[in-house]
This record gives sequence, C-alpha cells and structure tokens, in this order.
Amino acid sequence: MANPIEPTNGAARNGNEKAASLPPDQLHQEEEYGKAYDVRLIRRLWRFLIPYKRLFFAALLLLPLLQLCGLAQPYLMKIAIDRYMAGGDLHGLFGIAALLLVAVLGEAVSGYVHYYLTMLVAQRSLADMRIAIFAHVQKLPMSYFDRNPVGRLVTRMTSDVDVLQEMFAAGAMTVLSDFVMLLWIIAIMLYINVKLALVSLALIPPMFIAINFFRHKARRTYRLIRERIARINGYLGEAISGMAVIQLFVREKRSYRDFDDLNAAHRDANQLSNVYEAALYSMVEAAGSVSLALLLWYGGGEALAGAIGIGTIVAFKEYINRFFVPLRDFSQKYTVMQSAMSSAERIFQLLDTPIAIDNPPKPVVPKPFTGEVRFENVWFSYKPDTPVLKGVSFTVAPGERVAIVGATGSGKTTTIKLLSRFYDIQRGSIKVSGVDVRDWDLSALRRHIGVVLQDVFLFSGDVRANLTLGESGISDESIAEAVRCANVESVLTRHSDGLGAHVRERGSNFSTGQRQLLSLARVLVFQPEILVLDEATSSVDTETELMIQDALETVMKGRTCLVIAHRLSTIRNADRIIVFHHGEIRETGTHAELMQKQGIYYRLYQLQYATEEEPKPADDDTAAKL
Amino acid sequence: MGGMGRLWSYVLRYWRRYLLGALCLLGTVSLVMWIPWLMRAAVKVIEQGGSLWDVRYYAALIAVAGVAQGAVRTISRALIFNAGRDIEYDIRNDLFAHLQKLPVGFYHAQRTGDLMSRVINDISAVRSLLGPGILNFVNAPAYYVYGIALMFSIDVRLTLVALIPCPLLIYAVRRFRGRILKCSLAVQRQMAELSSHIQENLSGMHVVKAYTQEANQIRDFVELNRDFQEKNMELARLRGLIGPVMQALSGVTILLVIGYGGLRVIRGDLLIADIVAFIAYLHVLAWPTAAFGWMLSLIERGRAAMERLEEIFKIEPAIASPAGAQPLGNGKYGIEFRNVSFGHDGKANGEAIIKDIDVVVPRGRTLGIVGRTGAGKSTFAQLIPRLYDVSSGAVCVGGRDVRSLSLADLRKLIGYVPQDPFLFSTSLGRNLAFGRDEVTDEEIEQAVRTTRLDRDVAIFPEGLQTIVGERGITLSGGQKQRATLARALVTDAPFLVLDDCLSSVDAETEDMILRGLRSTIDEKTCVIISHRISAVKEADEILVLDEGRVIERGTHQELVARGGLYADLYRQQQLTEELEHIE
Repeated sequence: MANPIEPTNGAARNGNEKAASLPPDQLHQEEEYGKAYDVRLIRRLWRFLIPYKRLFFAALLLLPLLQLCGLAQPYLMKIAIDRYMAGGDLHGLFGIAALLLVAVLGEAVSGYVHYYLTMLVAQRSLADMRIAIFAHVQKLPMSYFDRNPVGRLVTRMTSDVDVLQEMFAAGAMTVLSDFVMLLWIIAIMLYINVKLALVSLALIPPMFIAINFFRHKARRTYRLIRERIARINGYLGEAISGMAVIQLFVREKRSYRDFDDLNAAHRDANQLSNVYEAALYSMVEAAGSVSLALLLWYGGGEALAGAIGIGTIVAFKEYINRFFVPLRDFSQKYTVMQSAMSSAERIFQLLDTPIAIDNPPKPVVPKPFTGEVRFENVWFSYKPDTPVLKGVSFTVAPGERVAIVGATGSGKTTTIKLLSRFYDIQRGSIKVSGVDVRDWDLSALRRHIGVVLQDVFLFSGDVRANLTLGESGISDESIAEAVRCANVESVLTRHSDGLGAHVRERGSNFSTGQRQLLSLARVLVFQPEILVLDEATSSVDTETELMIQDALETVMKGRTCLVIAHRLSTIRNADRIIVFHHGEIRETGTHAELMQKQGIYYRLYQLQYATEEEPKPADDDTAAKL
Repeated sequence: MGGMGRLWSYVLRYWRRYLLGALCLLGTVSLVMWIPWLMRAAVKVIEQGGSLWDVRYYAALIAVAGVAQGAVRTISRALIFNAGRDIEYDIRNDLFAHLQKLPVGFYHAQRTGDLMSRVINDISAVRSLLGPGILNFVNAPAYYVYGIALMFSIDVRLTLVALIPCPLLIYAVRRFRGRILKCSLAVQRQMAELSSHIQENLSGMHVVKAYTQEANQIRDFVELNRDFQEKNMELARLRGLIGPVMQALSGVTILLVIGYGGLRVIRGDLLIADIVAFIAYLHVLAWPTAAFGWMLSLIERGRAAMERLEEIFKIEPAIASPAGAQPLGNGKYGIEFRNVSFGHDGKANGEAIIKDIDVVVPRGRTLGIVGRTGAGKSTFAQLIPRLYDVSSGAVCVGGRDVRSLSLADLRKLIGYVPQDPFLFSTSLGRNLAFGRDEVTDEEIEQAVRTTRLDRDVAIFPEGLQTIVGERGITLSGGQKQRATLARALVTDAPFLVLDDCLSSVDAETEDMILRGLRSTIDEKTCVIISHRISAVKEADEILVLDEGRVIERGTHQELVARGGLYADLYRQQQLTEELEHIE
C-alpha cells in the first residue's frame, strides 16, 4: 500500500493561504467552484446593502467622475503639446496645465472618496451580516451545536465574511464600470483620429485572445493551488494530531514522503502560475510598446506632414496603457468573485438553518408561577430509533427536592436538559407550572429555571460579569448577597481585585471547586424558582467540598429542585429519589425505602455512593491526550 | 543560527538562479529604459522634419525592445519567484521533518492551530520576502538610478524640477508605512477578539440559553463589531490614501514637466521630444515608487515570520536515537522496569506521575495494570516506546536500556494501541496496514477477525475500502478502538501494549476479543492496561497503580483474596455488570 495517510480531500475556504490558524476540522470542507456571478446570491447580498444604498450609489456615481478625470489627462496633454507647445502659446499652456492639475487632483480625490465610501458600505453591511449570523446562531437549538463543530461556525462569521470584504476591496463590484471605461477609451481614440485608433486597436483582438488564454490557464492553476494548499493543511493537521501514532509505528519517513509529494505539487502549481502571471504581465507591457511602434510606423508619415501632432501620439500611448490594465486585472477579480460567491452561499445556508425551537405563536406565561414540574409519558431520542427516554413520567411538587440517580447513559442528564427545552421531545409532554414547555414563552420559561451543569462554563472577563452574565439591572447588593451565600468570598480572597478578578478563557485560572461555587452564586444572582442541577463528579478538597455543600443547601432552600445526585448528602437530604435505568424510571422513594427494596438503587448506592469517602484523583492529562 | 542566518543559507542554495534573475532584471530595466529613449529619437525626427523611414526605424526598434523586454521580464520574474517557491518548499519540508522528531511532550504544550499557522502562513510570508521582496529590492534602485541618470543626460534643470516632489514622496512613504503596519496589527487583534468572542459564545451556548442571555451576547457582539469596523475603516482610510497620493504626486510631477518644460520649448531651448521622454520616464518610475512601501512591509513581515519559524527549528528533539546505537537483533524479549520514576520536566519527586516501579515481564508473558483514572497507567505504557523518557531508573528491553537503542529499532518491536483511538482519514484497510510496508490480505483479515471487526466490515458499504473520515469520525467509538487494536496486531511485533483500548467496547465483545487475542499472541510479551478487571484477569502478573505507585501486585486470585483496591474495583465492576443486565 503506497499511501498510508491519504491526504484528506477538501479545501480551505478561500484562495489565499491563511487558512491554518483554525482547528483542522474546518479545513476539510469541500470547496465549490461556483459561478462568479449568481443572481440569487447577489440579490440576497443586496439586502444587506439596502440600509446603505445612498452611500453605495454615491460611490457608484463617483465612478464616471473618476473615469472622466482619468481619461481627460491624456487628452489635455495632447492639447498642451500640439496646440500650445507647438504653437508657442505660453498662456494657453498654463491654462491647460491648470486644467490638468484639476484632473489629476480630481482623479485622486474622487478615487479616494470612491474607495472610502465603498469600504464604508462594505464594513457596515458586513458588520450587519456578521451580527445577523451571530443572532441567528443564538436561536439555533442545542442539537445543532451537537452536530456542528464550533470552529466551522466561527469560520462563517469571520473568514467567510472577510472574503466578501475582499470582493469590495478588490473592486470586483466595478467590473461593469471598467467595461464602460474600455468603451470610452475606444470612443475617444476614434474621435481623435480614426486611422490611428484602428491601428492601435489592431492589437486588441489578438491581445484579448492571448489574455483570455492566459487568464484561463491562470485560473486553472489558482484552483489547483487552492486545492493543494488545502491538502497540505489537511495533511498537516492530521499529522500533528496523530504525530504520536506516526512515531510509534516508525512511519516518519513515509509520512515525510507523503508530505513532500503534497508540498512539491503545491510548489509546482505555484511555479506554473508564476510563469503564467509573469507572461501575462510582460505581455501587457510588451503590447504597449508594440502599439506605440505601430502608431509611429503608421502615424509617422502624417505626423511628419503635420496632419497629426506629437501630442496625439503621446495621448494614444496613454490610452492604450489604460486599456490593457483592466483587461489584465479582470482575471484576478473573477477569482475573487468566485470565492465570494461560495462564501456567500455558505453564509446563507447557515442563515437558512431552521430555528426549530422557537417561541410559539402565542407564548404563554402562566401566572401565578407554581414551580410544579410534570413529565408525562416522555419519549425522546437524539438519533432516530435509539430512544434515550422511554415513557418517563414523574411530578415534582412546588418546593420539593427530588434526586435523580442512575448509571451512566440511563437518561438523567437528558431529562434535565429537556426541562429547559434545549431539545423538543418526540412524544408525551413536559409541563412547568401546568403549561407545556412548548407553549411557554421560551425566555420566560428559562428565566424560571436555574441550570447548573457538571462542567461549569465560565466566560473570560471578570467574576462580576460571570455572575451577572452582562444582565443589567442587577444591584450590587444582590451580587454581594449571592457572593456571601455561595461562599464565593473565599474564592475572591485569593484574587486581589475582588469581583473584578480576571477570569481566563473557560475559567482556567479557577479550580474546579471554585468554578462550582461561582456557578452556584450565578443561580443566586438570577433567583430562579426551579433549580436544575447536575452535580459534578470530580472531587475537590475537603474544605471546598464543605463549602460547596453549604452553598448548595442555601441555593436549594425554598426552590423546586431536580438534582442529578453524585453526593451522599444530596440523596440523603432529598425528599424523594427517582431511579433511572435504561431510559425508564424503575424505582421511586426515599433513601431508606429504596435501600430496603434491594433493587437497582441498592446496587447503585453500593457502586457510586458507598465508596464516596475514597478520594478520586484528578484526570491524568497525559493519558487523556495520547 | 538566527532566523535570518538560516534563511540566508537557503538563499545561497539558489544563488545561481537569484544571480541570473537579477541580471535578467537589469536587462529588463535597460530595455524598459531604452524605449522612451527611442521614442524621443522618433519624435525628434518628426519634430525636426526627418525622413519617414527614420521614424519607422525607431518604431521597429521600439517593437523589438518591447518584445525583448517582455521575454526577459518573463524569465526574470519566473526565475526569482520560482526560486522563492523552491525555498518555501524546502523550508516547509525541513520544518515538517523537524516536527516529526519532536516528542509527544512538545505537542501537548502546543496548539495545533498555532503550529499549522507557522507551517502555512509564516512560511508564506517568508516566501513573499524571497520572491516579490527580493525582486523589488533589485528593481526599485535600478529603475531610479537608470531613470534619473537618463533624465539628467537629457536636461539637468528639467530633471531637478521633476524631482521637486521627491522629498514629499519619501516623507509620504515613511509616514504611511509605520501607520499602516500599526493599523493592520490593530485590525488583526480586533479580529482575534471577535473570533474568541464567537468561540466562547458557542462553547458556552448551554449557559447562554439557560440564562436567556442571547440578547446580551448579541449586544456585546455588536459592540465588538463596531470596534472592529472602526479599526477597519481606519486602515481603509490609510490604505485608500496611498494610491491617490502616489498618483497625485506623479501627476503633479508630470504637470511640472509640462509646465516648465513647455515654457522652455516655447522659448526654444528644449524639444517636445525631450518632454515626451520625460513623461515616459516618470511613468516608468511611478510603479517602483508606489511599490516601495509595500516592499518594505513585505521584508519586515518576512523577517518576523522567519523568527517565528526559528523558534521551532531551534528546539532540540528531547527524545532521539543515541549515536551509534547497536541493533538488538531479532528475537523475543522481555520488558523490565528498573526502579522507574517519571515526572514532567524530569521531576522525580513528589509531583512524579510514576514512582519507583520495579517489574519484570518475562518474554511471552502478560502484565496487567489496573488503577483509577490518573493513577499513571497510560504513562507507564508510554515509557516503553520512549514517548517519554524516564526521570530516573531505566526501562529495559531484552536487557538493554531503551535509551541505548535506536528509536526505530525500539518502536518496531512494539505493537502499541493508544488510549485515544487515532485513525487517519484514509480507508479502513490502509489504516490497518499503517505499521507495515508490505502486508498480505490474509494478515489483515486475521487481525480483522481477531478484533471482531469482521461483522462491521461486512456492513460497511465498501468493506475495507471504506473511508473512515477525519480521526475515524464515521466509525463508532468501539469500532475505532478495535481498528487501532487490529492495526497493532498487523505489525506482528513481539511486544503488544494495550492502553485501555477496549473501553468503548461492550464487555461481551471485549471478552471474545481477549480470548481470540490470547490464542494468537501466545508467544508475545504483553502489557494490558485496563479499567476493567475482566481484561487483566488472566494476566501472569497484575500491578495495581495508585498515584503512580504500585500498591498491590499478584495474580487475579491473590489480589481478590487480599481485599484491597483491586478487590474493590472488581466488586464495583461486578455490580455494574449486574446493573447492565437488569432489564
């Protein structure tokens, strides 16, 4: 077998090579080579421009002025030379020079304003687009995030939007006006001198064919380059993550060979492209000189006879130069448009993802809120045909404290996630305060339920922001109260800034126990009527454990509580225990009752709780990573 | 060797091409500069009323110079840019080879994204320095020296007038350069902030939803976006200025030439042909001028990127084959741990992960290792193929310290199944054959049968040709684990090290696999690590690890009888099984 690590087919998102600062999973998306111009996509993109359409049209309206100023310059030079220098009219010469100055400055100023307005429109509308994507993503159901890696979504909001910005910056939107300018140049040349115009334009058809040929070739190599850099990206990501395996099986040489192949293929495509580009570039330059030669060859006689002036030759030379440049750049713009269209396609695909879990048409907010939770014959599965919950029914009375126990995979965590409507169930109903969660006003429902999951998530920022989550209207007193009741003070004493203490990404500068205390304080700040808690299994030192238990007691007091219990104290203090087994409720009762039964709970107790006093060390990092 | 020193050594490899490229560039510049000169001559003929054939003579020369210029230019650009691509290729290969030598510990301390960004983006930046950077470095001075010299030779005063905007130009370039660099850095930083906000929001989505913080999150995002947009506009304002400013300056220069030159033409001490030539020369000089700032930033970025690459290049592989390692020779060996301790960064004290382990596994025997998560089981396994080196003591194979063997010799002895079942995104078959250069279908089939993959392969749409996807994503956890086990079996190495590699396989299948394994690996020396007692029950000796130490050792019967941690774990496992069987 020749190729043990086949490079992944796939491609980075766009033409440039800066794909790699992202996790490798995003580098493996298929790159579509769509059309450079897709009416449907353009129409949707246009909608983001509408709020700035005045700026946009202002930028467009500047284009004729910009072109006028540019195209006037050769003509003015012609007049300066032919009429005034040859005619010896100093006064006229300075007049023309003044006009030329106006044209030069006009071109610079209108060019700048045009660019500025275009970028302003681009920046504003793309910021709107980014926000639209972000806001849409906020509404997507949890099941969407289970399926889609975070990195990919980040790419949509950053790199893909960037590609669209490139489209604006590269002037891809002005292809049409470039074309208009070419027509103007032809018209002006014909106006000045028909014969010379035809002579100079004689080179255009062969040039057009040649440029087209190279453009076509160049485009194919661009595509190759993109494919190949994407392969390098994919291979590299995989090799880095699997380096231990490569080393263990002594496959370094072979993997090097594979990498070398990919690397060489990328180099070859680039070198080919270099040759095409160099040829294209040089050809345009050469064409300018040949046109000049033709002009002198055919116009020389008339010039000698005085039928045309030297200035005319100078002007023609300038016009020809201005003619070839947009032709040359068109191929670049075409590539940019292609990338932009496929990025737009991906962005709109995300925006079109149905929200699935949304507010009902007539959202209900039951009053008064009782806090009763009722599951009635609930069936649920993440994947079709593999039900996780099979006809689960139970009720938690207002103020009652219910513990859920069960082996791994018995459906405990799913149950508490369903309560906040993170997922919608397939059969049965879940009622909070007597109303089905699907009829509830979604945010009102979630406001009533405080969720504390095992893996406490902290945002980077400071402690205060993590307690309030940016919610305004939370008084300093209530924060202080929460900090006191959840024993967070002890956490803060180690950080000099108090509530302003810095929290690093994912709260990595806080210990597991500290993070748990912070998450309990968060609940106290928000004061929900129902508390849903998935106790962490990872153990903490005794001192912290006592503080957590104390804080838990405070947090649970007076609330309807549904707790996935991992602590002995929690099951002992529960009013009732529900035992999950294979997605069903198998036993219910108090600790004493269930122990007496000697059923599933009895065994679970032996397995999970009886050995609680034994310390469980933290995870072995090196083991987990290999 | 610093980064630039290393880069220089690469450039020297291609010095012939760079030299040739530079000579071609000078040729191009000469030809380019000749054309206005010829045009001047032609126009002079017209102005002074010469013969048409003189004009045509110059016209023909212009065409020839133009075409020749195009050809030489193509060659020079291709030579220099392609040399840059060759060096890019060399550096990328060398860096990859270097990365392959760095031990597992290095990869734990590094983010994959950061490494990839160095191999892709930084090398790209270095290439820009070597291609367009060097090209312009030769080009710009050549154009200036040539152009100004020729202009002086036409008319000194007119040249001086044309050079009036020059100080302004230099001032503008310098001013823009620093500010643009600063601005684009600010944009990059803001972009990073935006990305990490998105990243964090998505990772913490369950909290956002649970506390209905969507609106607040959007509000923060809008704010970040506004900053980002402002920074971008600041950059756009600057970037947008360069083009027009340069354009206006060169326009003003031409204006000066026309105004002052025209005055002299009218006075009669200058020809229109001279002015035409001047205009042409100024056009030629406009581009290198505009590109000057760009070139400087290319060079700066390339240097910074090279330094970042050097950071990786200068890391010495901590684990390498010793010089002049003697081969072990073919045969069967035992494994021995002699008073082994291991801690990261060579710590052998209280923070060590493995402490004072002494054990001998005679050839053909099986050692079982159990213990809780974090007890040091995986680390134990990783010390055998030298993924890590011991902090003190020695791991020996066939009586030789593993550190005295070549890495390839050592690792070829070991069929290793890591805890994290990493598969490559190729076909299942190729993954299984990964460890061998040549392998027969029977050997693969044998491994597939032993690991009970045969039933799965039968269902796969393309059997062994099925592509497993990135990291084996299309396979279930159990399938991945069994595939990695099969991959190790295919190597037919004399040692087999299983690092808890059947945790996602149900107990029954695990039992069948282990039974099958025992019948095929009779003569192999095995280390089986497991959190399930059932996997190690039959081992000749079992070590129970806790916090890196051996707290119990013996056979299954002995350990159960002892009533220690092993017996506890055994009882818990029986309970779990019992629970699983309650319908």
